Amino acid sequence: MTADVAIAPTAPQAQGLSPLARLRRECFATPVDGLITLALLAGLGAAVQALLHWALRQADWAVIQANSTLLAVGRYPLGQQWRLWLLTALLLLACGGSWGLLRGRHWPRSDRLTAGLVVAMALMLPRGLALDGAIQARWWGLAALLLLARWASGRWGALLPHRCRPLLPLVWPLLYVVGLVLIGGGLGLQRVTPSQWGGLLLTLLAASFAISLCCPLGIALALGRRSALPVLRWSATLYIEFIRGAPLITLLFLGQNILGFLLPGGLAPDRVWRAVWILTFFAAAYVAEAVRSGLAAVPRGQEEAARSLGLNGVQTLSRIVLPQALRVALPATVGQFITLLQDTTLLSLIGLFDLLGVARAIMTNPDFLGRNAEVYLVLAVLFWCCCAALGLGSRALEKRLSRHAPSSR
Amino acid sequence: MNSPVMIEARGVQKWYPNGYHALRGVDLTVHQGEVVVIMGPSGSGKSTVIRTFNGLEDIQAGSIVIDGIALGDDLRSIEAVRREVGMVFQQFNLFPHLSVLQNLTLAPTLVRGRSRGEVERQALELLERVGIHEQAHKYPGQLSGGQQQRVAIARSLCMEPRLMLFDEPTSALDPEMVQEVLAVMQELASGGMTMVVVTHELRFARQVADRIVLMAEGEVMEIAPAEQFFSAPQHPRSQQFLSQIS
Repeated sequence: MTADVAIAPTAPQAQGLSPLARLRRECFATPVDGLITLALLAGLGAAVQALLHWALRQADWAVIQANSTLLAVGRYPLGQQWRLWLLTALLLLACGGSWGLLRGRHWPRSDRLTAGLVVAMALMLPRGLALDGAIQARWWGLAALLLLARWASGRWGALLPHRCRPLLPLVWPLLYVVGLVLIGGGLGLQRVTPSQWGGLLLTLLAASFAISLCCPLGIALALGRRSALPVLRWSATLYIEFIRGAPLITLLFLGQNILGFLLPGGLAPDRVWRAVWILTFFAAAYVAEAVRSGLAAVPRGQEEAARSLGLNGVQTLSRIVLPQALRVALPATVGQFITLLQDTTLLSLIGLFDLLGVARAIMTNPDFLGRNAEVYLVLAVLFWCCCAALGLGSRALEKRLSRHAPSSR
Repeated sequence: MNSPVMIEARGVQKWYPNGYHALRGVDLTVHQGEVVVIMGPSGSGKSTVIRTFNGLEDIQAGSIVIDGIALGDDLRSIEAVRREVGMVFQQFNLFPHLSVLQNLTLAPTLVRGRSRGEVERQALELLERVGIHEQAHKYPGQLSGGQQQRVAIARSLCMEPRLMLFDEPTSALDPEMVQEVLAVMQELASGGMTMVVVTHELRFARQVADRIVLMAEGEVMEIAPAEQFFSAPQHPRSQQFLSQIS
């Protein structure tokens, strides 16, 4: 409410001005403002120029071109890589499908922009990476698949029976299981052991696994910490405080040694899975704290009103308290996801070939000596893209969840 | 009074966990169709007593029987009572993440297992009765305080309760909105609903209540028919209270 009031008076003023006048008013209002603007612009310009000069003249991108497969999937067997292409196609199909269902027939400006970006990337990236013709064609195919799925589900998605709609999100966990089978083998597919997974594949797999499991775990811990049952409360508190008090890298090393005894044998059979579980357990403690602050933000009267209407404890929690608490906890939780994604680089320190691990391996190759900057820059851009995607997704979700306007209290 | 008993409270004692003795042996009988207004200075235990009637507060001694169901320690009896008893709070306590209509339909579909279409029809009728059916698809945060409280009343009515409890329903409202809420409550009373109301609204108490209960320091000081209570209060605490607020 107060935000509306604060914004309203300035907005009409700014709209009436010409771009030049607006620039002057916003950036050069006083001599000091103007000086700051000019100085920053000059510094920024110099930095961009230096970067461009380096990237176009001095950098040798052959190190990326020669190692693009390594960066993408590590030492995944060449003959089995069709499985990853298939998985990518399925994922893009699901993405395009969800996208279309959310937006319908219309292509607002942001959608057209995204589509343009997809086309541009499909056209330019394979060339930049000097991929051979067959693989270039696959990139184009994938881009076409995504946009086609968007178009088709936008056009005919409304025809889906109403009863099916709540089931659609289940496609994602299903796809996750399919993905694990495609990547790891089994069910008739040749086994590819986790030690052969690497690069972006391992990074995304570790991060997505930890992200999807740390949420239910974190919610359970947060509820445990508020439980009336002392044993439950103490164990949850002890767990959260222990995990939050230890550096992740320590836990990763510790996990390699003790997780084999703590978890049932099938769950952490090797170094990769042990590390992934540690990431999950680590993130869960932080998510638990975010959820706890969300729970604390729900007024006590909400629970009382729900119980007065005859809802039982589980119904009160799932229908009234958690939906409101999770909405409050969402920004902090997504911040934790982004940290988690970046923390996967620690896997390289325990000898796994995630993105950073692969990059370090490439840099020890005598053929590419002294090409560290190129590799690190690509790494930084890749991570930035993933984190930006998470951030954008969370902001869209937040906007959707807060469409109820101001809370009633 | 020949109509059946709705609330039978005997010797109710309540200590808060911090040791505060909030209720010191409260006896109260409310018959079906009666409107009872509980008054008293702040800290007298009037809110506490109404909250024990649907198990929001547990009691340490005494007994409470609501519509034939004894309120015990077990959750089943408490939940059975809550299904039959509506409660309206000072702070409305609408669910901000649900639309007005969903606020009304949630409990009947979830707790009573009734069909959504049927409940929605009933909910829209109720919203019309309290004068806010145009707002059915808005969210609570978009309504005024008076409108929110009327939605809260409709939400309770949607469970078809046999008894309605009101815990200072107009205390959090701006003065100009008090009347619209009291009008709804008055209409409800004239329809024969059994009601227990904690309120400071003298006019409402005088016009609508059958009996007035005056509480002070966790005890019932006087129970009297409304007319008699206001014209000739018996207990000195009643006389003192009335002289202070009028």
